[in-house]
Parts: sequence; C-alpha cells; structure tokens
Amino acid sequence: MIVALLILHGLLAVALIGAITHQAISVWLPAPSATGSFVGRVRAVTALSYVNAVVALYVLTAILGGILYPSYRLSVRIVLEQMQLFTANGLFELKEHFVALGLGMLPAYWYFWRQPLADNYARTRAILTAILAFIVWWSFIVGHVLNNIRGFD
Amino acid sequence: MIAARCLPVFVITFAIVYTILYVVSVEYNLALFTYHPAAEQFHFLVKPATDGPAMYWYGWMATAGLGACLVAGFVSWIPVGTFSRLWSGLSWAIPLGAMAFFCYLLRSFFIR
Repeated sequence: MIVALLILHGLLAVALIGAITHQAISVWLPAPSATGSFVGRVRAVTALSYVNAVVALYVLTAILGGILYPSYRLSVRIVLEQMQLFTANGLFELKEHFVALGLGMLPAYWYFWRQPLADNYARTRAILTAILAFIVWWSFIVGHVLNNIRGFD
Repeated sequence: MIAARCLPVFVITFAIVYTILYVVSVEYNLALFTYHPAAEQFHFLVKPATDGPAMYWYGWMATAGLGACLVAGFVSWIPVGTFSRLWSGLSWAIPLGAMAFFCYLLRSFFIR
C-alpha cells in the first residue's frame, strides 16, 4: 500500500513539476508567438491555464506526502541517521519546511493569477511562480534521491 | 463586492502571518497537535513520545494555518483604507526570508 502511494505521490509530483515549469518559463522567458522549436513552444504557452492545476496538484501531492511521512520517519530517517547521512537528512528537513511555506503562499499565488490579470501584480505573480517552481523542483529531487538511497523493501 | 475588495488583503496577510507563525511554531515547538507514528496516535498540543519518534510538522502547519486564517480574516474585515496599501510583494518576500532562515537553522546538517 505504501509503495503504491509513493508511486502515486511521484506521478502527481511529475505532473506538478510539468505544470509549474511550463508556467515559470512562459512568465520569465515569454515568446510572443509559438515558433517551430520545442523551446519556442514551451515559452509561448498560456501561463494562466496552469494555475488551477498547480494549486490542485500542489495540495494533493502535499497531502499524499503527509500520509507517507510517518513511514519515512519510522523506516527511512532512522536508516539515514544510522548511516550518518546528515546531508541527506538535512535536505529532507529543508524539503518539509519549504513545502509547508509553499502551502502558505498558494492563496496569494491563486489570487494574483485570477482573471483579469492586473498589470500592477505582474512582478508578484512572476516571483510567486518562481518560488513555487523552486520548491517543487527541490522537493522532487530530494524525494527522488532519498528514495534511491533507501530503495523499496 | 466586499469579498472582491477584501480578498487581496486576506491573501497577502495570510501569506505573511502563516509564514511568521510557522517559523515561530518550529523554533519554539508550538504544535497544535502531535502525531506518534509508532503508536499511530494523535495528541492535542505538544506531547513528547515515550516510544519512538514524535512528529510535530502537521501540528506546526495547523498552528500556522489556523492563526493565519483568524488574523487575515480579522484584518480583511477592518474598514477599507487601513490595510488597502499592503504591498503585494510581502506575500513572497516574507516566505523567501523564511526559506533563508531555515537554511541557516539547519546548517548543522551540512557543515560538519
């Protein structure tokens, strides 16, 4: 059951990382129109269309992570401590705090991306998106690395 | 109409207060509840485990979320004008500062 939830958690994280990365790129490196290249098409996506997906996926992924967390605490963290992998432990500690702080930013993120988009909130929108993208990438990479260290039983 | 006027104040205040309360909750361990994963039991407020680890993360978020809802609700209820010029950048600047704070707080994991 835990393995199935862990895989689902990972799949939701992949979807979230795709959504927030597309949005962040289109906000920070916008292209006026979609060109033929892959990068050009990524830069030209409609950033607004990802907002609800990002909010829903962030919350769902965090809830699943919260459900899995006790298993991590009992069977992974103790192993990391025994192996004296302090850096790996610290990376996860940062992940839990970053994710929690991201949850607190979600209402603001959702509000500043509401239609019609206000020009005076453009910078706030862009920075909130970038911070959330950083949190999602950090969490994904740290989770992946820790999973590789511990492996499945 | 009132909701539309109050919403920006609410979301900005929520982001600020949630972040501050979360940092304070972690620093002083002010968890609203504690979870003991080995015993699979929840306890109100902070209760150290006698057997196995105690998890406070959920409780810290609950403290921050509940407190932020109350404060943001109150601030957005105050008549227009008082907080209407709240800088929207605070919704990212305070959390960004908190992220830097946690990097500092947890430095012992990386510097040995």
